[in-house]
Amino acid sequence: MNVTLYKQMIKVNMKSFMNYAFGSAFYILLMFWLYPSIAQNTKAIDELIQSMPEGVGKAFGLNGFDSAEAFISGEYYGLILILILSIVCVQLSTQLMARLVDQGSMAYLLSTPTTRGKVAFTQVSVLTTGLFLIIAVTTIAGFVGSAWFLSGTYEFDTSKFMQMNAVVFLLFFAVGGITFLVSSLCNDEKKALSISGFITFGFFSLDLLGKFSEKIEWIRKLSIFSLYQPGEIVNGNVDFATPSSILSIVGIVSFGLAILLFRKRDLPL
Amino acid sequence: MLNVEHLTKTFSNGKGIFDVSFSVEQGEVFGFLGPNGAGKSTTIRHIMGFMKPDKGLVKVNGLDTWKEQGKVQSYIGYLPGEISFIEGMTGKTFLDFMGNMQGVKELSKRNVLIDRLQFDVQTPIRKMSKGMKQKVAIVAAFMHDPEVIILDEPTSGLDPLMQKVFIEIVLEEKAQGKTFLMSSHSFPEIERTCDRAAIIKDGIVITIKDIHELQSMQRKLFEVTFESDTEAASFLSSGLHIESHDGNRVRVAVQGNYNRFVEETGKYSVRNIDIFTQNLEDIFMNYYDRKGTMK
Repeated sequence: MNVTLYKQMIKVNMKSFMNYAFGSAFYILLMFWLYPSIAQNTKAIDELIQSMPEGVGKAFGLNGFDSAEAFISGEYYGLILILILSIVCVQLSTQLMARLVDQGSMAYLLSTPTTRGKVAFTQVSVLTTGLFLIIAVTTIAGFVGSAWFLSGTYEFDTSKFMQMNAVVFLLFFAVGGITFLVSSLCNDEKKALSISGFITFGFFSLDLLGKFSEKIEWIRKLSIFSLYQPGEIVNGNVDFATPSSILSIVGIVSFGLAILLFRKRDLPL
Repeated sequence: MLNVEHLTKTFSNGKGIFDVSFSVEQGEVFGFLGPNGAGKSTTIRHIMGFMKPDKGLVKVNGLDTWKEQGKVQSYIGYLPGEISFIEGMTGKTFLDFMGNMQGVKELSKRNVLIDRLQFDVQTPIRKMSKGMKQKVAIVAAFMHDPEVIILDEPTSGLDPLMQKVFIEIVLEEKAQGKTFLMSSHSFPEIERTCDRAAIIKDGIVITIKDIHELQSMQRKLFEVTFESDTEAASFLSSGLHIESHDGNRVRVAVQGNYNRFVEETGKYSVRNIDIFTQNLEDIFMNYYDRKGTMK
């Protein structure tokens, strides 16, 4: 870890972290604001969803509207937040490694008395800090929203909400690990961006497709996104520890491999 | 101070550098000459530890530049051939950042350099011209007072006045015992600063020579315009190496033997003499050719 580099990288990226974080916070507040008016018509909406083909509701995480966290899990944590964080992972990890190598500014970092291992580890820390910040701001906004708009009238299960956020973080820790690994091995920024984008959104699509129909549900197993099931967390019928530890291990191994391989490879600087 | 020993690296396309060896003593300015794509940058990448040699090694101050990363860089100042800074910085924030990375507290050297190169440090880097970026890069290479300074085509983009200032800075640092490796494809730049130079072509070091020896090897092209066509025609039989002949103009290639050239042309009445600026490959063409056939 190189503190100077960490500070500089955070400074450069803080604006985009904050844009994503506040965008996300705003959206979740909007959801909380909407919830009371929807909750009054829960029955009608539930019936509407019942009338849709089963797969559609499942795929988009529509999870009933009888509790605030169920609503949030379906409307936000099921799709929008996943898309936002996927974009952050793909973009940020490409910027932190492949772009510096492609443009050549990595030469400056490595010409100072530091090691490649330290540089790569610092960039890993910047990526994790960014993800953590965005999710933390979103979580806080969730609590603010529930206090502000639901205040006592509607129930809100904070522990399930926290659990959901924790798993989201771990999921993107793992996804970030994979995209960072790709980025560390690429000399070309565009190549890194397209490969990691393909992997991330490929995983995402496999998970989405698998949810549509029970016949092809097995393809979800190929995707790490299936380890995160916000609807099931809220309904309380999913194990928290196993997917969390798998995601953590995937993340740690990918980041570790990225640092290790980056130390050994030839850089065209 | 800087030792390159049997450095070999073959790329998948068969190009690369092959058994490159040279050493630069303390206080010496060593030139590294060669046409584009000859292997200068590849060698420098190995010196900087950006690439792992297939064979051989590079030592700076006795430390292997591939294995001793993290330590060896504190002796090295580096000016990349293609300069690219981290985005979103001004000249000052970049130099502050590099200073912190290098662990330098002392700013006097940096301020003197900025003053001499005359540029505004507050300008955002993305708005800088090529020459201005080059100045920032020069400051970054010198400001931490390194023992060994690696310069990859240092004067590209600088105006003639600043090239002169730059050469002065190099000579002053040299006088203080600093060691330089300077790559270039411009011979005049090397001529004015270097003690010795290596010529590299197709990944092989063709020769390492004293700069005066290189000067005598250098081939220059003169275009002499004679008073009349007949004079030009009789000049052709002077035994000098004639490149081309057109009416009263004759192109002569001269290598080392300037006296002879002056004597021969002096026999005729000359209207004009032009000297052609040539690229490095042309300057040492004879030499290259000879070595090319030796292989």
